[in-house]
Amino acid sequence: MEPLFLAWSYFRRRRFQLCADLCTQILEKSPCDQEPDPALPVSQAAWILKARALTEMVYVDEIDTDQDGIAEMMLDENAIAQVPRPGTSLKLPGTNQTGGPSPTVRPITQAGRPITGCLRSGTQSGRPGTLEQAIRMPRTAYTARPIASSSGRFVRLGTASMLTSPDGPFINLSRLNLTKYAQKPKLAKALFEYIFHHENDVKTALDLAALSTEHSQYKDWWWKVQLGKCYYRLRLYREAEKQFKSALKQQEMVDTFLYLAKVYISLDQPVTAINLFKQGLNKFPGEVTLLYGIARIYEKMNNMSSATEYYKETLKQDNTHVGAIAFIGIDHFYAEQPEVALRFFRRVLQMGVYNCPLFNNLGLCCFYAQQYDMTLTSFERALSLAEDEEEVAAVWYNLGHIAVGVGDMNLAHQCFRLALVSDNNFAEAYNNLAVLEMRRGHVEQAKALLQTASSLIPNLYEPHYNFATISDQIGDLQRSYTAAQKSAAAFPAHMDTKRLIEQLKQHFAVL
Amino acid sequence: MAEMKSMFREVLPKQGQLYVEDIPTMVLCKPILLPLRFMTVPKLEKIQQTAQDTIRQQEMTEKEQQKITH
Repeated sequence: MEPLFLAWSYFRRRRFQLCADLCTQILEKSPCDQEPDPALPVSQAAWILKARALTEMVYVDEIDTDQDGIAEMMLDENAIAQVPRPGTSLKLPGTNQTGGPSPTVRPITQAGRPITGCLRSGTQSGRPGTLEQAIRMPRTAYTARPIASSSGRFVRLGTASMLTSPDGPFINLSRLNLTKYAQKPKLAKALFEYIFHHENDVKTALDLAALSTEHSQYKDWWWKVQLGKCYYRLRLYREAEKQFKSALKQQEMVDTFLYLAKVYISLDQPVTAINLFKQGLNKFPGEVTLLYGIARIYEKMNNMSSATEYYKETLKQDNTHVGAIAFIGIDHFYAEQPEVALRFFRRVLQMGVYNCPLFNNLGLCCFYAQQYDMTLTSFERALSLAEDEEEVAAVWYNLGHIAVGVGDMNLAHQCFRLALVSDNNFAEAYNNLAVLEMRRGHVEQAKALLQTASSLIPNLYEPHYNFATISDQIGDLQRSYTAAQKSAAAFPAHMDTKRLIEQLKQHFAVL
Repeated sequence: MAEMKSMFREVLPKQGQLYVEDIPTMVLCKPILLPLRFMTVPKLEKIQQTAQDTIRQQEMTEKEQQKITH
């Protein structure tokens, strides 16, 4: 078979390494290895194909990436308003909780948001006040691996080429004549993607994109989008916004809407992003990614009723969408409908997701839906699939809940202790262990555990309330009152806290 | 049935006071549903990991070669 055709066939079948090797062989026959010989269209084609194959090996869609590191969170100057109005900012936790169950039923994360359905990269959870808070804040709901700066997340410069071509880089960027390539749009496009995704050299990519845009007389929307991506990666959000808007004027594409919305989210303007998505939906009615985008933004803004509505719309259009299914499942679970939640998680399993969090959720739903045969096997599977210590801790914590439900307090005690062994900063486990210690009569231990729990996550109301109860029982009314106040601050609608505070006020009034 | 009746004499007071006592009990934190993981994060990490492994292997072989020559 003709080698170039075979290479193209490999490319279409996603056998990228084979394709790249074959292209290397074809190119070896041409006189110069750095640039394709313009006289030989075959060598040009092989060059483009090789560049594309190497890019595809490491390609990750820009829409999905972007993990904010601590540096970006602390030094972010892009917020427009210092004190945004409620409901207009993604960075204020829990100010606008409309719809959805209260903290008595649905646990909140450290940032004060209810637990979310699906983890994607880029789940920014509020703005830390101090560096210490930033380090403590988990990157996601349940992993505490803060990264110093997001530039470390991307494949480092040159790492990918070390991986894909160990004998030396395919294209030596420092020797490239960008102006020459800018004149040839087809070569330039493949080259741009190679530089941007494979070499991760955003500055060179930006130069190439700028030259090509000029050459195309600002009429090619594709180059404007690439310019926008480069600016976004360099965190020049306003410039990125301009480029994407200009591209949209020329040619409306779903991807451009998604990129532009990402820019608005980074600028902390969720309402603008939602309006943009709605505009996109006018042009592309029923587009799943846009609907899902709107739902995610509402979820981040804590507007659970609108989020649920849009997740359901997403599922109407695409009922295999794992993110939406997971959210609705979690919603049903915390709305006291575990059987319905079980159906949703079963559907996620049918979609091919096979990891620890899914089996953990399945186990919990099975137990609360009274399907006791499946419960323990699901948890066993979850433990065997766990990838890091936080997941193991969460599974043991939930097993502790099962043990409490069954009535086996010794087992529950052991489970919560195991959860703490895996994750030393697991506030909920400390709280529950304190409750069990109190049942056994170890008051001092219980108090110490509750202190730890409340210091780890200050806006959890349970440790404060429990501490208030214990202090009230042993007669330490002053401490009880302070703790009850903290509990009321975290969860104002809690009836027991209100009753306790009233009782204490009456006591103090009598004194 | 007659024996049963003699064992259990029902007591139905016609008057008296009903007491309700609310003992403050401690609350457990709720069970935690874990958010499911999406695909993009692991892929990047896999690439980084394999790249680092190959580099480490290359360095190891270089070191061994240097040891042999010395």
